[in-house]
Amino acid sequence: MKVTLEAINQMQTDGIFGKYAIGGAVGATLYLEPAATLDVDIFVMLPTAPGSSLLSLAPLYDYLKVRGGVVKDEHIVIGGWPVQFLPPSNELEREAVAESVSTTVEGVTTWVMSAEHLVAIALSTGRAKDHIRILQFIEQGAVDRAKLRDILERHGLTAKWKQFEGRYLEGIHE
Amino acid sequence: MSKQEMRKRLAALSFSEKVKILEKLRDRSLALAASGLRQKSEEDASKKADKGSKG
Repeated sequence: MKVTLEAINQMQTDGIFGKYAIGGAVGATLYLEPAATLDVDIFVMLPTAPGSSLLSLAPLYDYLKVRGGVVKDEHIVIGGWPVQFLPPSNELEREAVAESVSTTVEGVTTWVMSAEHLVAIALSTGRAKDHIRILQFIEQGAVDRAKLRDILERHGLTAKWKQFEGRYLEGIHE
Repeated sequence: MSKQEMRKRLAALSFSEKVKILEKLRDRSLALAASGLRQKSEEDASKKADKGSKG
């Protein structure tokens, strides 16, 4: 992972993307016990081409391919890890990247989404594995409930959260 | 140690230590997947051989 993150930081330095943040299961690992995952989700703020509002991952893939990156389905393998680069698809994900927290892996600085943003994105995505992850965050007391409520309200997820609470969190005390 | 205590202890590790565990879990998952595929292809080959012997 050290090599992977060094390569990603170099891409950022070279201007391939702006701010980035690790999300998904690897991001959640900053706050929870490690859970098996096969890939790394990296949310990246892509620069727009001059005179265009379109975002493209093509320059990113081109950059990596000439440096030996191997494209495998929607991933590109860097330092042994299949990495999926994801431009934020909504305001919640953009905010999650902007407010990501700095940490280190084996001395390499990197950024990970906050626990509250990871929970909000998991709620928004809403697959079974996302619900399991939210429960882990709650059960382990890894989220600031006031901060989470604020994020959910700002991104129109309060009703969805209430549904989730009713279904899964009754009987679990804060 | 209870499962809950073990989870708390794992969650309290540094990110670097947890990433090392992730790498081990990933290698194990890949090894299991690969052995499953090998097993499946061996089974398929065996079935084909059976069909061949009947035909």
